Amino acid sequence: MLTKDVIISENSTKLLLLKKHQDYLSAYGVKKDNYEYCMTEYLRMSGIYWGMTAMDLMGSLDLLDKQQILDFVRECQHVCGGIGASKGHDPHLLYTLSAVQILTIYDALDVIDISGVVDYVKNLQQEDGSFYGDKWGEVDTRFSFCAIACLALLGRIDAINVDKAVEFILSCMNFDGGFGCKPGSETHAGQIYCCLGTLAITGNLHYVNADLLGWWLCERQLPSGGLNGRPEKLPDVCYSWWVLSSLKILGRLHWIDKEKLVKFILACQDEETGGFADRPADMVDPFHTLFGLAGLSLLGDQTLKEVNPVFCMPEYVIHRLGCDLQLLNV
Amino acid sequence: MSSWALFLPHGRLKVKTTAEQQAEKEKERQKKLQLFKAGTQKIFEKRKIKEYDDEGLSISGQILQANPDFYTCWNIRREILTQLKDERTEEEFQQLSQEELYLIENCLRKNPKSYGAWNQREWILMFMPTPDWERELQLCNRFLDLDERNFHCWDYRRFVCKHSNVGPDEELKFTLKKVEANFSNYSAWHYRSSLLPIVHPSCERNSVAEAILLKEYDLVQNAVFTDPSDQSAWFYHRWLLGRGNCFIFKLFDLDYFVVVCVMK
Repeated sequence: MLTKDVIISENSTKLLLLKKHQDYLSAYGVKKDNYEYCMTEYLRMSGIYWGMTAMDLMGSLDLLDKQQILDFVRECQHVCGGIGASKGHDPHLLYTLSAVQILTIYDALDVIDISGVVDYVKNLQQEDGSFYGDKWGEVDTRFSFCAIACLALLGRIDAINVDKAVEFILSCMNFDGGFGCKPGSETHAGQIYCCLGTLAITGNLHYVNADLLGWWLCERQLPSGGLNGRPEKLPDVCYSWWVLSSLKILGRLHWIDKEKLVKFILACQDEETGGFADRPADMVDPFHTLFGLAGLSLLGDQTLKEVNPVFCMPEYVIHRLGCDLQLLNV
Repeated sequence: MSSWALFLPHGRLKVKTTAEQQAEKEKERQKKLQLFKAGTQKIFEKRKIKEYDDEGLSISGQILQANPDFYTCWNIRREILTQLKDERTEEEFQQLSQEELYLIENCLRKNPKSYGAWNQREWILMFMPTPDWERELQLCNRFLDLDERNFHCWDYRRFVCKHSNVGPDEELKFTLKKVEANFSNYSAWHYRSSLLPIVHPSCERNSVAEAILLKEYDLVQNAVFTDPSDQSAWFYHRWLLGRGNCFIFKLFDLDYFVVVCVMK
């Protein structure tokens, strides 16, 4: 069988093009009538979080218009306390977390009604411990992570039933030690990150078979150096984040070949426009740009600020909060 | 994609184009964008005055076919359908629900990994007067033929089975078919790992009856020998080793077991 992978060309970029990425992200969204920009309005709040976290990791947060961003977040909160992706868009846990992350980085949580957010999150927890993403009832371990990360950043984790939330996460554990969207769902690196993040915040990592899961995670590395999110899939820069952060939480980051992965991530930069794509020579976007940079930060790049593996936010911010996290050591 | 968008447009190759081609494409996109924006504004306005009607369904349907991850737009459709359920006869509403299923199928053809579209499908199946579960199972078969690893579709399949009394034994047969068609189908091996202890339980929790285990070892050994570099079978094999009594190890060629240990 042919391994699904890409070939990194000899003359691919080997330097981190910081200035290019800063230009790319500060220009993103300036042209409001850009097609891609308008078609992604349904995830705008997360887009802002990706862009600003990337900028902060590069030490250039001041290039963004802080007041404009704060005003935008305020306008997206609904009476129920939840926050939508954009003005007029419905509240959802995904965007509520992004908004709280943005405000935490800016140390400006007072911009929104915090107790409203806490109530919104709390009311989405179900009897089995799971969380609905919004009032319509979709269940996913991503939403468990959103709820718990959000409350942890607000220092209000006591508002929900943590034991039940953990019980639900554990009910999604699979034969390979990984986790899926809901009970019975196949293991996926993105869901592993969400579940490990939830367990790290609540101090329950002892439930994980770290060697078995660590093996599955490090097997994500392909000959090109890139990581995929499931067996027999193509590599993608965003898994540099989900797989790496999971290995970091499990204390097994050294189980992959760092040098080869750095080479793969750098090859995904666009030398003309700045930004990172999922794979070399593809189109760039702010999402892959953040996860490329965050991956490089976890791999020890000294030109970037240190990133926190659980919250995907600059470590200095989490340090400032005094947030207590459990990480494993080998 | 997210813990956040776990799924975003991935794998779009950057194509070099001439300035002329680019201008032409941009013109076309701007035209599409104007329609999209006008439609969005219209459904937001109608929602504000609670004008839930066929026009709203039509406009939001067009928007979603262009952008199936626009979650607020699916929410607006649910509000419209909730109201129309009260206003229409059961027969009329059944018809509307079927139209909803067609729309969702179109959206899924455009993007088979749209969280919003799969989620809407579960919602309407639970909401419509007479769901046709057999048809839904066929839909799963078709989508899994197109992409055997689509985890959204596998999840939807489990939802369909749960509500239509398709037994775990039938599903176990389905995974066998899938695995035999392609030993690298990790999604099918995964599903097998959850079905096997249910269909063939032994006295211990989460373990599998001895005779079945032996047959299962044959299957997975076949897969490993067909392609030793394929991870799917190895992960499943590692799991199988923990399902029975220890003496099972002795039944194996020593070299084979050593390879597994090294893999571990």
